[in-house]
Amino acid sequence: MSINSLKITIVVLLVSFAGLRMVSGQSALDLRINEVLVENNSNYVDDFGEHSPWIEIFNSAYNSVDIGGLYLTDDLSNPTKYRIARGQQITLIPPRSYLVFWANNQPSHGIRHLNFVLQEGKTIALYDANGRTLIDSVTIPYSMQPDITYGRKVDGGDVWVNLAKSTPGANNDTEFHPLAADKFLEVDPSGSGMAFVAMTVVFTALAILFVFFKNLSRVLKMDMSKQRIARTLAKARLGRDTEGAVDKPETEEEFNVSGEVNAAIAMTLYLYSAELHDAENTVLTINKVSRTYSPWSSKIYGLRKSPN
Amino acid sequence: MGGSGSFFSFVVEQITQFLSYTAFANLTSGHLIMIVIGLIFIYLAIAKEYEPMLLVPIGFGILIGNIAFTPGLKLGIYETGSVLNYLYFGVMQGLYPPLIFLGIGAMTDFSALISNPKLILIGAAAQFGIFGAYAIALALGFSPAEAGAIGIIGGADGPTAIFLSSKLAPDLMGAIAISAYSYMALVPVIQPPIMKLLTSKKERVIRMKPPRAVSKQEKIFFPIAGLLLTTFLVPSGLPLLGMLFFGNLLKESGVTKRLADTAKGSLIDIVTILLGLTVGASTQATTFLTPQSVKIFLLGAFSFVIATTAGVLFVKFFNLFLKEGNKINPLIGNSGVSAVPDSARVSQVVGLQYDRTNYLLMHAMGPNVAGVIGSAVAAGILLSFLS
Repeated sequence: MSINSLKITIVVLLVSFAGLRMVSGQSALDLRINEVLVENNSNYVDDFGEHSPWIEIFNSAYNSVDIGGLYLTDDLSNPTKYRIARGQQITLIPPRSYLVFWANNQPSHGIRHLNFVLQEGKTIALYDANGRTLIDSVTIPYSMQPDITYGRKVDGGDVWVNLAKSTPGANNDTEFHPLAADKFLEVDPSGSGMAFVAMTVVFTALAILFVFFKNLSRVLKMDMSKQRIARTLAKARLGRDTEGAVDKPETEEEFNVSGEVNAAIAMTLYLYSAELHDAENTVLTINKVSRTYSPWSSKIYGLRKSPN
Repeated sequence: MGGSGSFFSFVVEQITQFLSYTAFANLTSGHLIMIVIGLIFIYLAIAKEYEPMLLVPIGFGILIGNIAFTPGLKLGIYETGSVLNYLYFGVMQGLYPPLIFLGIGAMTDFSALISNPKLILIGAAAQFGIFGAYAIALALGFSPAEAGAIGIIGGADGPTAIFLSSKLAPDLMGAIAISAYSYMALVPVIQPPIMKLLTSKKERVIRMKPPRAVSKQEKIFFPIAGLLLTTFLVPSGLPLLGMLFFGNLLKESGVTKRLADTAKGSLIDIVTILLGLTVGASTQATTFLTPQSVKIFLLGAFSFVIATTAGVLFVKFFNLFLKEGNKINPLIGNSGVSAVPDSARVSQVVGLQYDRTNYLLMHAMGPNVAGVIGSAVAAGILLSFLS
């Protein structure tokens, strides 16, 4: 491998790696701590009928992500405080779905029951399976009200607020948002707006292609020998004297040799080469073929006489 | 005697039950109408050779889908677990259309487009048909998502219509697909009168310069640049455009001949069979014969008319800015719809009627393949706006 190709390979690998770091991998890194409830008096009950504090994890990816093997903690100095059991069906979070953990310090109640209790002022963190990579964390503010959850305003978003409705295992954003299609119907009942916007985009997309390919042939610097042939042909066609003529810059039309012209040239060359043969003298020689008679070669003597 | 009597009544009961399961017992007038439609499709395909590769599977699929049966036996295409339902999965999930596009990419020569890039814009203009039909569908009371799925019939691209309707209006997919393919087959009937109506005699005999030779480099650049330039703007068109340009790269690279041969041969044939048959079978009279389907058929015809009109008028408009000698024959304007190569063939046939030495086919192929790209882009836009 030459030095240059080695450099190129390294650059490509670095760019790819940077891309991997920047773009979410649709993996455990897409999990988010989405909503927490510290003081549960009359809120959601666990599978033992108890009102326990809870933490909701949201899978922001568009594929299922297994949270098994990851760590939840309320102590950043101890990232591996609670290891979520792996190999369980329940730990596989479907796309854009949720899993609720009970922070009641009762791990014997099941894998969704943590070995710590949620407290105000504490930082809750989710660590990757290596126990070092921090995936997400949130610091619970002081003065949390009973049964009022603290969560992201929009699932997976950056803004944390006290939510008007607690939504364990459901979308935090409970306000009504009309679908894009409904908005179109409301704002653009005739469809003319859609036609205008969409046709602009279609034209833009294809106009970009047009501009690109309009200039591509020039950019590629097409085979110069072909261009030379094209120039000669164009000049010949225009009846110019090629000898001593001043070379003017050729127009695009002269560069562009059509397939038909190429085919005609190829056919001419083929016919010319097929017709081509050695020069011959033009003397026509006529030899007289003499047939001398011999009874030895006559078939008639080899046949029997027919019976009378 | 008592034993033989009970046996006899048992046999009668079984025969009666068997008869109740037959198609004769379950037949409705709707089934009969659909069977007749299926037969017409097959007739058009075999006798008239209108899109036979599509109309034979679809027509026969209509027959299969309209054999009346007793529900619950896992026979119908809409019954979970039936064989037809499994085959229909590729339609419902939008799996088949991108595979068809892969094959189309592998068999399409974009040289005509590359040699004369301004023809690309005709492919854009013809997409007006989609949005004209969208507006009318809204006026007829369809929801925006349904109107978008119906409008795409105007793109004259069966796979695109199926892909978009599977996402936006799955309930209407059968009617939309049948409508799209029917009108694609009828392109030689629908387009010529509009083309003749909108052009003058002088315009019809415009001669265009023969396309220049396109280098291999340009042909290789086309799918790569085409993908990047279109999908960066409309990522939602990725399934269709990605496969289209990928198939074209397989063809033009020259080093993947086997893959290109498979994509444009066995693969597209298999997918066409499955797609055509299941789309045809999805037209069960009970779900298909509704007033909505009739409206969709009317809208489909309307969208084809608008698309053809827009394409021809755009060329006339474009000619105002072109120098003498560089003008475009407006008879290729109809080819902006993506019914490849039928609409290009229509340009050729109509062109020859007015000048027997003016061959427009190669020129018309430019906007024709641009129409494939344009309709996929339009589908992407509708998907991103309305889903």
